[in-house]
Amino acid sequence: MLVLTRKVHQSIMIGDEIEVVVLEVRGEQVRLGIRAPKDVTVHRQEIYSQIKTENIEASKTQPEDVPE
Amino acid sequence: MTLTTSRFGTIEYTDEDILTLKDGPLGFPGQEKYVVVSHKDGSVFRWLQSVDDPGLAFLVLDPGVFRPDYSPEMPTDVATELELTEQTPRIVYAIVSIPPGNPEGMTANLAGPIVVNAETRFARQVVVHDPEWHTKHPLTEALPSASEKAAA
Repeated sequence: MLVLTRKVHQSIMIGDEIEVVVLEVRGEQVRLGIRAPKDVTVHRQEIYSQIKTENIEASKTQPEDVPE
Repeated sequence: MTLTTSRFGTIEYTDEDILTLKDGPLGFPGQEKYVVVSHKDGSVFRWLQSVDDPGLAFLVLDPGVFRPDYSPEMPTDVATELELTEQTPRIVYAIVSIPPGNPEGMTANLAGPIVVNAETRFARQVVVHDPEWHTKHPLTEALPSASEKAAA
């Protein structure tokens, strides 16, 4: 993993089009701003993982358990 | 065409029946082709049966059936990708999960709905950021017929 140190209002570029700016640091929370093309999807990692886990569980559903 | 599945035996389908779920559901990359199968006549449930994996199917329902107020914001990138405008007929499916052997534990995932352009039959699983909608909305009490079965 690449590790970089940034100060508030400094940013990093990912490729030519994606910019991640550190907006604010307050205690243990960091606010980030993300500038990306419209066709790039940005998610919080937790929600992405939750949906993935839920899909895997849902794929085990069997017809005999489905209510009428 | 014919498809042999682990849950439903043999299914007949045509190209027009295929729904293309772009990139597949999260956790199932590349599983893009599905046929929509009715659970039973009159049932609110459908199955999305994978064309490429006979053992892969997802139980789904229209979330409006139990949450008429469900209208999460559509991310711009998804609307663009699916060519969805205000006028485009669309179908939204919530994936339903029932722990094997435990129908009362049935939940619907409203954080990751599948949005379908009903004209092109292209679809994508959308990540909803509104904390009101999460991955495990209990369904047994929300659906009257289901709670009757659970009580029986």
